[in-house]
Amino acid sequence: MINSQTISVESIVGQVEGNIVSDMGGEKVMLSISNGKYYNLGEIGGVIWDAIQQPLSFSELIDNLLNEYQVDRETCEQQVLTFLEMLLEEEIILIRS
Amino acid sequence: MKKNWEEPKLEVLNINM
Repeated sequence: MINSQTISVESIVGQVEGNIVSDMGGEKVMLSISNGKYYNLGEIGGVIWDAIQQPLSFSELIDNLLNEYQVDRETCEQQVLTFLEMLLEEEIILIRS
Repeated sequence: MKKNWEEPKLEVLNINM
């Protein structure tokens, strides 16, 4: 069960537009135009970033990842939740509850 | 065949602009 003040299984997750994104050696690197910071989302983070190009629910995102990766649901939910909360804190994703 | 999972992490790169 996920435990977050801001994100639930029904939450819709989407990208904030206007970031410059590039693939570097299999990892996703991003420049946020709004805050001028550079980020490395890593490989799995890049997959998640691509998946939320079209906004989708947290549960749909997890289902997609479980279909593609060898990981149990609880681990996947908790780790993706933590990752999304970091993205939210940096204001590079949008969450609609 | 499913791919190996790694915990997704956000790294803030220290690049002086």
